[in-house]
Amino acid sequence: MRGSTMTAQDGRLEFGLNSFGDVATDHGRVMSDAESVRLLVEEAQLAETVGLDIFSVGEHYKEQSVDSATPVLLAAAAQATSTISLGTSVTVLSTQDPVRLYQEFATVDAISNGRTELVLGRASAIESFPLFGYDIAEYEELFEEKLDLFLRLMREDRVTWSGKHRTPLDGVRLHPRMPEGGIPAWIGIGGSPDSVVRAARHGLPLMMAIIGGRPERFAGHAELYLRALTTFGRPELPIAQHSLGLIADTDDDAKTIHWQYWRPVVTQVSRERGFYPPTAERYAEEVDTGALYVGSPETVARKIAGIVRANRLSRFDLKYDLTHLPRDVREQSIRLFGERVAPRVRELLGEDPGAWDLTGRETSQIVTGGKAVHA
Amino acid sequence: MPDTTHEQHKEHPVNDFSDLEFGIDTFGDLPRDDEGALLSYGAAIRATLAEAVLADDLGIDAIAVGEHHRPEFAISTPETVLAGIATATERIRLGSGVTVLSSDDPVRVFQRFATVDALSNGRAEVILGRGSFTESFPLFGYDLSDYELLFDEKIDLFHKLLDEKPVTWEGTTRAALHDADVFPKTDSGRLRTWVGVGGTPQSVIRTAQYGLRLMLAIIGGAPARFAPYVDLYRRATEQLGTTAYPVGMHSPGLIAATDDEAKELFYPSYKVIRDRIGALRGWPPLQRSEFEGDVEHGSLYVGSPETVARKMADAIRALDVGRFDLIYTAGGALPASARLRAVELYGTRVIPMVRELLAETPAPRAMTGAAFRR
Repeated sequence: MRGSTMTAQDGRLEFGLNSFGDVATDHGRVMSDAESVRLLVEEAQLAETVGLDIFSVGEHYKEQSVDSATPVLLAAAAQATSTISLGTSVTVLSTQDPVRLYQEFATVDAISNGRTELVLGRASAIESFPLFGYDIAEYEELFEEKLDLFLRLMREDRVTWSGKHRTPLDGVRLHPRMPEGGIPAWIGIGGSPDSVVRAARHGLPLMMAIIGGRPERFAGHAELYLRALTTFGRPELPIAQHSLGLIADTDDDAKTIHWQYWRPVVTQVSRERGFYPPTAERYAEEVDTGALYVGSPETVARKIAGIVRANRLSRFDLKYDLTHLPRDVREQSIRLFGERVAPRVRELLGEDPGAWDLTGRETSQIVTGGKAVHA
Repeated sequence: MPDTTHEQHKEHPVNDFSDLEFGIDTFGDLPRDDEGALLSYGAAIRATLAEAVLADDLGIDAIAVGEHHRPEFAISTPETVLAGIATATERIRLGSGVTVLSSDDPVRVFQRFATVDALSNGRAEVILGRGSFTESFPLFGYDLSDYELLFDEKIDLFHKLLDEKPVTWEGTTRAALHDADVFPKTDSGRLRTWVGVGGTPQSVIRTAQYGLRLMLAIIGGAPARFAPYVDLYRRATEQLGTTAYPVGMHSPGLIAATDDEAKELFYPSYKVIRDRIGALRGWPPLQRSEFEGDVEHGSLYVGSPETVARKMADAIRALDVGRFDLIYTAGGALPASARLRAVELYGTRVIPMVRELLAETPAPRAMTGAAFRR
């Protein structure tokens, strides 16, 4: 049974581990790109061992990122694991060819025996546009057109299609075949209400990337999504959240090491995107009340339980890597996330189900026939 | 393992074929189960993985998987399949056979293969080709009338990407690149890269010009007729001052316990696929006598281990190649068990026998340049 339908079926909260393919260090030495690729496969195995539900990788095209060929990475992880789901977060659909993407993910799904899914997004990083010859001005149009084609390839047997950004298809049937109806595909959003409505309109589950600020502000998006699903006559679908974090034995340990590696990354991004560089004060605020899930297992579990209720989540993904974060720190964080945080969050929610129970119960109604995510 | 072999200078007056490599190739044909039912695409991909694992266990040097966009074949994205194989194996080289570069993006091809190379600890090998099938052109929006131009430009760009340094490039078949750095980088610093050639002298010369390895696709006729291409490659590398790598060849076949069993397994489903493809290319339907002739004198390596080994040894000697790949699924919708058995016989019986046969009668090496390197 697939991850996202499984959640809905037994009302069980899912925990995902997400990597952006950040190059790691090993005892102070920067690992090679190739070593970092192999580390990802080991971490996918570890994620399965510690009981996490899904392992996903992003798609980036810059130095110190090794996740440029997502399906290739996932195929290797698929062969190395047996129960964990495998996904993306996010696939930059705007600069991919939906035909090639279908073929690649149908292959990963075959290798994994049906454990593969996708999160499709417009991406917040734009390196792929010039690299593959796309015009950033067409950001929105590219995504909409390619989403339309990709969904039709997944949902129809033979596809006749024409659009502006790729060659038309005339009765094309691709192979290898995905299972009938395709594989689960989520829409990744960064905060745009338009994207929330789009996910509902297409009947796709919602993945909210919350990487800064108070995460509760996305409760409005969750609300909008659920209302939009009703408006479009769609059944209720799962809502997930993706956020950055690190778990260590104590809050202080976690914050000290995370700040050391998070700061240069965010300073760099702030330069590129023109926002204020991070300060220690802002960082502390971000950890206390913002979107950083950094701390001891108990601290992070409480924080996740809170946001699961507030944002009506049925899945929480932790982005655990950061440029040059030591591999042993990554490993410890993954272990604690799977072995301590996930069970503790479930325990906390069991004590006081609150809003979360609502999502769990209602999504359970929509899996009749096992087609929830493609309803 | 990183490709360092070409650094070593060996100037044998005779070729004892001691460093000969053997591979298996598949297009991901859909096999049948024991009841004769065609396997699903997913099951066909998993069957290929199982065959690769067996080949690795048996010490076969390489596996190559093709890229096809036709319903008979389960593999349309070779690197994704190779990534699965990478995780499940330890020694075997992982290649494409071939990557249809003309209808792909060289940047993406590099990224995918560099990732396979990382996953496999340096065992990836790219085999670039123009493809003998044309389905990928309309599918990905390329014009067949640009067949030459597409390959010319894309191999030029790919060749630049192989240096693993920022690339500046301009052409008409893809967006220009300005100082674009592409990741991940490989540990060895260079992907082992071949060009699959079907019989165009120009392609042979281009391969030599870019300093890439030459893989001859010999799917019909007597193998010896390709000897001029091997010679051309060596002469071209000498004149251009590039490295003359050992030449590879790949040809179709099937091994079973006896000649009769192999032929009876192979022929019926081979005729089906051969006639289907032939209809598109204007070939007359395959006759049994033509098939028998190809098994006897041509390029079908179908038979008992001994028959196939003798035939391979003859071809390897005639062409002085350093690598032989058997397309073991060329028989089309074969029983999955027969495919697995063919891989087993290839690894346990055929390869040792070929080595023995070649060691018995070393061939004079057709050396044309002092810089002939293994």
